Amino acid sequence: MGRGDGLYRKSLWVFHMNTGGCNGCDIEVINVLTPWQDVERFGIKLVGSPRHADAILFTGPVTNEVLPRAVRAFMAVPEPKVVVAIGSCACGGGIWHDSYSVLGGIDRFYDYLRKRYGIEPPPTVYVPGCPPRPEAIIYGICLLRGLVKGKQRREVYVEGEVDLSSLKDLLPPDWVVRTDLMRRWVRWFT
Amino acid sequence: MGRLGFIKDYLRYGVVTEKYPYEPVPTPETFRGKPVIDSSKCLGCGACVNACPANALSIEDDLRGGIRWVRLFIGRCIYCGRCADACPVGAIELSREFELSALESKDLIQEVGLRMVKCVICGKPFTTYRLVREVMRELSPDERVLTLVCPECRAKLTAVNTSFARW
Amino acid sequence: MQHSWVTNGCRELVDLLSRYGSVEEVGNAYLVKVRAEDLPEVANELQWGLGGYYSTSVGADFRPIDGTYKLYHIFSVPQCSRYVVTQASLPPSLPKAPSITPVIPGANWGEREVRDMVGIEFEGHPEPKRLVLPHNWPEGIHPLRKDFPYDRKLIIEGVDDEVEHVDELARKYQVVPIGPYHPALHEPEYFELYVDGEVVVEARYKGFMVHRGIEKVAESRMTLNQVPFIAERICGICGFTHSCCYCQAVESALRIEVPERAKYVRTILLEIERIHSHLLWMGVALHVLGFDTGFMAYWRIREPVMRLAEELTGNRKTYGANVVGGVRWDIREDHVEKALRILRRVREECVALTEKVLKIKEVVSRMKGVGYLSREDARRICVVGPTARASGLDIDVRRDHPYAAYGELDFRVPVRDEGDVLARFLVRYEEVLESVSIVEQALQNLPKTPLINEDYEVVPLRIGVGATEAPRGEDVHLVVTGLGNKVYRWRPRAPSYNNIPATLYMLKGAYLADAPIIIASIDPCFSCTDHCLVIDVRSGSSRFVSFRELVRGGYRG
Repeated sequence: MGRGDGLYRKSLWVFHMNTGGCNGCDIEVINVLTPWQDVERFGIKLVGSPRHADAILFTGPVTNEVLPRAVRAFMAVPEPKVVVAIGSCACGGGIWHDSYSVLGGIDRFYDYLRKRYGIEPPPTVYVPGCPPRPEAIIYGICLLRGLVKGKQRREVYVEGEVDLSSLKDLLPPDWVVRTDLMRRWVRWFT
Repeated sequence: MGRLGFIKDYLRYGVVTEKYPYEPVPTPETFRGKPVIDSSKCLGCGACVNACPANALSIEDDLRGGIRWVRLFIGRCIYCGRCADACPVGAIELSREFELSALESKDLIQEVGLRMVKCVICGKPFTTYRLVREVMRELSPDERVLTLVCPECRAKLTAVNTSFARW
Repeated sequence: MQHSWVTNGCRELVDLLSRYGSVEEVGNAYLVKVRAEDLPEVANELQWGLGGYYSTSVGADFRPIDGTYKLYHIFSVPQCSRYVVTQASLPPSLPKAPSITPVIPGANWGEREVRDMVGIEFEGHPEPKRLVLPHNWPEGIHPLRKDFPYDRKLIIEGVDDEVEHVDELARKYQVVPIGPYHPALHEPEYFELYVDGEVVVEARYKGFMVHRGIEKVAESRMTLNQVPFIAERICGICGFTHSCCYCQAVESALRIEVPERAKYVRTILLEIERIHSHLLWMGVALHVLGFDTGFMAYWRIREPVMRLAEELTGNRKTYGANVVGGVRWDIREDHVEKALRILRRVREECVALTEKVLKIKEVVSRMKGVGYLSREDARRICVVGPTARASGLDIDVRRDHPYAAYGELDFRVPVRDEGDVLARFLVRYEEVLESVSIVEQALQNLPKTPLINEDYEVVPLRIGVGATEAPRGEDVHLVVTGLGNKVYRWRPRAPSYNNIPATLYMLKGAYLADAPIIIASIDPCFSCTDHCLVIDVRSGSSRFVSFRELVRGGYRG
């Protein structure tokens, strides 16, 4: 995603799309517009029609009922667009990710769009939280704008190689004989 | 007048906008932020996986490589703290981090891979070395060998022993 | 120590109920097993004869247990401080029951939802249409039946929205669709107004777009102590109320005694939630009226309350404090000082601001006389909360069915009888001041006891009713404990469920420009209402009216 692009250097007009969440994230989005956080410092404005928007503030786990409307509103936002997925429902489906009535968050929404309409997903920022603090939402938007560096990276740790000799200090001295005996018993009887 | 009163108020209260992100904003001590698994303490027991209401924690056993993967996906985490309450050794704790945004969903994952013990009878990996070590400490030296046996083989052993005893 | 739920039940009530079936006392409620044929008569006696209030209807699939479907109706009888739950068992071969909607119009939605989710038919229901399932959801599949797996995803494709709107009205009058996506309201919902010039002639509501299948997930995958977390996420403002209500229902079912300090902590957090919810509403109401300065001012006052909640519990909104039997977090001494200071300031600023706002003639004239709901209509539709109290109904769960620590605290319940939007505004404003006083009393009298009582046994198939006064009204949960450590049936009924039908009454005859404030005046919380499957709506593509334009009055038809 070209952060040097003209789109992300200037102000972003956002369209707020709630696909069926609890509204905790939506209230934090409105909080971000109020005096204490005041996201209008960055030139961000909430617009009424998807056709005027540059970015979509996506909340909610995409319920069954909202799906066609969400698709239509999503496709109404002109290219190039960017999506900010706010909250645990949007990022991963939330606490009800496997319910019968819920598609499962923005990744499943993109799968649906790709399969049904052949649309490739736009650049997306994930803002986890339940609900995320207004400052976390601002951080996500600033990440998009290139004003802060992202800190969150995938972490993988693998334990070093271990084998049974590492447990020698706890096992009785005749453990090899005993395990051998057990093995023979079980093999003999089964 | 109603409206002029507002202007007086604003002159009195001033600007309340905080200059985040150019200035940091403190979090209270009790803040529930990102859960972090301490990879040196985790046993791979799965208590946190049972406790998590959102299935953000999961365990996957790679039987061929002999590694148990404990996976934490903070995208789905609800920051409730049940995992921290459930962990017997305090390996997972909620930090005060809230700046968790990422541009890719896979950046929101923390994985801890623990080596698995192979059953001394059938050879299949069934639990982790760390968990076996922890359990062995609670048992007398004579009983400790049994922890190296997987549940299926243990069932067979018990059957052998009982039939012997009856005989 | 006397148990908290044993109060003075009424002799008269028990005698009345015994005429219809056996009566059992379960915590703060009477469970009476009636025959299905007697239901309309019992409902009539309880609502109109005795002066009780209908809360909701619940259907449950008990076929794996005793081979029947069970239908519950819940009534609140404030004068005896008790809830009454009527239980009717229906055979699976013929799951039918007479409808109580002709007797109590407010039961309309409750019965339709039972029909959609469990499949019980109601004879004599005036509007037996789908409420909660999409119009092309397959017939005969009822999600809350025990043979429907909770994670079987049925994605309804290509739904291009034929909503049944009233054709002859659509031909005569102009249709103004509001929703589902518009900038001011943060939830997807759809109102369809039929206007003649500037006057609204008829209104239709299609909602339930926020259905997430919460009840089913809680019954299938969750343990008893995980459900408070999903309950908290039913709604983005009144989450803690839902989790308290659930815990109270389970505590009532299993006869668990909650320690005193836990009750006080719950009360404090509940009132903090009420304060921030009402301040939020007052700001949003002014925004909907077009007065953005007031909106920003109220939210400026509200922010310290959110930060206080974050300091006490770790999160601004989802407190995560409840477990069955008590609370997880404690309130420390240094927090008490800080909380008192912040609340004092909130009270001063709120009083000063509201006095200024009420002096502005334009704001007051847009609220006075608008959206009138008469006392009789309020009683018939069974509205709750500030909407009811502004129309002269003196009901408040905190006083009528005391829970948590409310029985020991001193507070007033504001009631007005003008029945318009201004009355609702003033009722909520007075409630904010009362809430601040309640929190101050509770913080200064915190008893020193442990926080959780874990000494209980989970007995399967026990019923409990929990009720709290959410910021929007009475919140009722019915819980049937299940086998193992789980819940067998859980029905959270949020207050907006009873309040939203009232908007359709209020919108008739109103000016189009007043429609947004009328809808906003009941403080609708659509995500609280919609935890069941939802309906399809017409897209309104070319005739989409931006809500901003409606608010500014710039709509040209």
